[in-house]
Amino acid sequence: MSQFSGPEIKHTLRKLEFPVCSKEALLKIGQLTCGRVPSIKHMDLALDLMAEFIFHEVDRRGNKRTLPLTTMQEIQLVEVLYDYFNSVNNDTARNSVFLSLFSGTTAIIRSGILSKLVSMAIGIPSHFILISASTLMQQLGNTSPNSYRLANALVKDYFVLMPNSSKQLHLVPRLAPQFASNFLTAVADIYFADVKKGPLIFPPATLLETITDWVSENTQLCVAAQQTQSALPPGAIAMEATTPFAGLLKWCILAPIYRQTSEIYGKLHLGLIENMLEIPHSNPPRAIFAQHLIISIGNICRYAVDLQNRSRKSDPTERQKMFLEDTALHLCLDRFAQAIQIALSVNCVYGNIGDMINQLKQLPFNKLMAIVINSYKNKT
Amino acid sequence: MKTEIYNAADEEYVVLRAKNALQTDPYAAKAWMITAKTLYPNNFTVHFEAYKMEKEAKNVKEAAKCFSYLLENFQEEKFWKEVETVIAALRSENDANDVVNQFLCDMFRHISTDVQHKLLLLTADRCEDAIEHCKLLLLLLQRFPMTIPSHGPRLVDTLLSAEKHSHANNQPVNIYRKLLICDLVPLLASENVSCELSSKLLFKLLHKGTEYYLCYIYNKTNIKDTETKIDKPWQRLFDLLEIIGKHLGWETYLTNFKNNWSKENYWQKILTFCQTHKILSVDDHVHMKQLLYCSTIFFLYCLDDYKSSLSPDASPGQVQTSFVLIEAFTDTSLSNPSLEPKSKRRRTDSESSTPIITVDKNENKNIANNFLMASNCWDLLHSSEIFTREYIKLHNHLKLDSILEDYLIDYALYKKCYDEAVAQLQPPSGIPDLTLSRHIRLANLFYLKKSYGNCFEHILAAVQLLNSGNLGSLSTQLVIGGNQRHLHYLPLTLNGVLQFCVKLLIRCIKEKFQHTLIYNDLVIGNLLVLIQLDWPLEEDFLPFLMNQIQQRGSFSYMLFQTYIINIDILEELSYLWSERGGGVTLDILPHLGQRRIGTRGADKGVKEEIKQTIKRQISRNNDRLDQLLIKFITQQRGHIQQFLM
Repeated sequence: MSQFSGPEIKHTLRKLEFPVCSKEALLKIGQLTCGRVPSIKHMDLALDLMAEFIFHEVDRRGNKRTLPLTTMQEIQLVEVLYDYFNSVNNDTARNSVFLSLFSGTTAIIRSGILSKLVSMAIGIPSHFILISASTLMQQLGNTSPNSYRLANALVKDYFVLMPNSSKQLHLVPRLAPQFASNFLTAVADIYFADVKKGPLIFPPATLLETITDWVSENTQLCVAAQQTQSALPPGAIAMEATTPFAGLLKWCILAPIYRQTSEIYGKLHLGLIENMLEIPHSNPPRAIFAQHLIISIGNICRYAVDLQNRSRKSDPTERQKMFLEDTALHLCLDRFAQAIQIALSVNCVYGNIGDMINQLKQLPFNKLMAIVINSYKNKT
Repeated sequence: MKTEIYNAADEEYVVLRAKNALQTDPYAAKAWMITAKTLYPNNFTVHFEAYKMEKEAKNVKEAAKCFSYLLENFQEEKFWKEVETVIAALRSENDANDVVNQFLCDMFRHISTDVQHKLLLLTADRCEDAIEHCKLLLLLLQRFPMTIPSHGPRLVDTLLSAEKHSHANNQPVNIYRKLLICDLVPLLASENVSCELSSKLLFKLLHKGTEYYLCYIYNKTNIKDTETKIDKPWQRLFDLLEIIGKHLGWETYLTNFKNNWSKENYWQKILTFCQTHKILSVDDHVHMKQLLYCSTIFFLYCLDDYKSSLSPDASPGQVQTSFVLIEAFTDTSLSNPSLEPKSKRRRTDSESSTPIITVDKNENKNIANNFLMASNCWDLLHSSEIFTREYIKLHNHLKLDSILEDYLIDYALYKKCYDEAVAQLQPPSGIPDLTLSRHIRLANLFYLKKSYGNCFEHILAAVQLLNSGNLGSLSTQLVIGGNQRHLHYLPLTLNGVLQFCVKLLIRCIKEKFQHTLIYNDLVIGNLLVLIQLDWPLEEDFLPFLMNQIQQRGSFSYMLFQTYIINIDILEELSYLWSERGGGVTLDILPHLGQRRIGTRGADKGVKEEIKQTIKRQISRNNDRLDQLLIKFITQQRGHIQQFLM
């Protein structure tokens, strides 16, 4: 095992300039993590190599470096990583290295590099890197802060900084559907989200359009991550992917009452409904969690209260009339009721459905919602 | 939102919202419709509306989904109307101009095969009209070959009984038969389909099919109904034979009519089959059936070829000419015909009873070949008692009598069975108006039977039927050398027929008087008239006739001025009349009939008049002989008839 002797490897690598040393270190890390029986010793060595030769977080004595990589060096490093990952076609091997590089305690420090790498894999399409990124998001949780950060960075790159890059984006659902699906789940939480301080933020138009196109054109996209098995290193426990349904439905439901009148929301809503119809049957259901589905109730109730406060009508019939005449509220509730109905009809909701129904009853009256609730009650 | 919508019943409310949204927001409309469908899975109206919406929006896939759902879950009358529209569209699938039809066909393609199958089956079952029912089932079998084993045989039965109970009046060309034979049977034989059919049923199908195609082939002109029209009926009949043969395990070389198939090769195959299986001597039912059907159908094919070659299509601008087989004449004094190919002569040397068959034009030579091939088959079918018995059964079953009628006359003539031929031509009941060809044949046969009076009757009838629309030309092949029998395909043209009739008449007269040493003047005169037509083909008669006149020393013929215009004959007569020729008395001037004037001490005036008469006749040399002879035969029929009795 002389080839894996730690000091010797480090010694050899230290003779190399950056970024050649990073390149060589990656190859060694690959060998170390993908050996037949990776030992703790090997893993430790791999982690050392990452910290010293790739991310330049520590110096040769193991002390924390004060000077981070320059922007230029970062770009060089991303290129090295891209070339390396794009050339490993064994999913398990690539995912193993990818996960050990970007998860764990150092995940937050390295997230900048990760974002740049994934961004590059979208711009210069790389199926392999997107698959590994998808696996990472799923293992860390696609609604976790890490995924949130990655999604945010990608949105910044592709929708804020260069909003006309739709060609590459269009490829993503076909290039790596599971990545697209996990990205949707993560990105859904960025907008229309209740941040305690400050107002709600809304998705930029290009993002909304792109997402809508993805969803409408690929009716199985939303369950893509849940339907594909990640190739994980031995011993790793596969994490269940959260589907983007609840998050994106929330956008469509809340849009009218936040005066987001773009008709794209209607199209996205239909796309989501059609995606729901394609959810494969499973017993027990696993596609949508009941509590996620009703996350918008709070916002809607607050809107209703606002409405009531503004008009200051106390007469109950007058109040009801006012609610009925508010088209934004009813568009919101119609969409909500439709989503509930279809989710129930394809039997894809898990969790406490009875509780969900009870909470729905607290909403201002809507005819369709009443029909949906009644229909559910009649069945059970 | 309008209150009436709001107050509508739940189902209606959801559908109305969908419909309302259609104008302003198609996405919302669709979301509403999906909601409605999931809310009311058992409500027909909801699903039918959904289907109509998708159809309106031209969403092929979605419409197909809705349609499938409707088909699997509902039986409403309203929906069946739509189903019928779809079926109608499928039927006229090639009509690409119709946008709606195109859409419905596209939609059908997007329906799962199970549902397509169910659709066709259900529609067929619901269909009260038998023909429609069968057509729908056929559509099903065509689109879903895997349904053939289960539905194919049932459809065979249905079609058979439907035909039986229909008012087809025993007319084999009808729509049920067409569906059965042209459409269904080929499907039963499609590749990868194993369909068990009893051999009894297979023979029945073969009978029905043969009967159908034969009727079609031999009544081509009478079939006007476009629905029953088919192409290449022979090819289809051969295909049918192949299909049935395959199911019955017949020798494939006898049921294969493709790949450079020729009649000659096939005939050799039949002979090989006969030899290998010794069918004609051993009672081998299985092989005999096979030979019987193959050779009968082959025979009928040759017969059809023969019939069409007897009436070949005219080249553009030409009049169509048919042919009729007659027994022509031989003259032992002539040398053997040089035009016969060597091989044929060798064969005829050994079988002197086999007649030589001639045709005027080389391009029509195939008539004789077609006849011989058909006759080979006919002989085979009658080559053993047991085989003949089987053939007769099939013959009666297929009602071949009328198809074979004309051929059998030719065959009887060929086999020298004159009585049989006459019997075929003159059925006891008697057909009042015989055709030209029948009169010719009867004249021919009565001559052969030495019944000269009857012969003339038909010559006269034939000549009266001639019309100048198709003049034709004279033939040099009516008389050939040698001593074999000579058959000839006579073109039914004015000159062709007239020449043959005249030749018959010449020979009738000659044979009638062959035992009389001295002919009377009238006989001699008539013969002189007759031999003019195709002069000098019959010039051999002339010396004999001149000799007769010379022996008698006089020639009295009152019809001379009317009918004798040939220079050679006139010259011969002038010679006899001259001093040098023996000074024969010519009594040819009608008004001098009473004064018998000898040449010796002759009246100068009379002599001059005879001279002038002969000159005048010579000047008529360019008169049309055909018209002259027609006139002669019709106007002088009285006395010709008399002396032929």
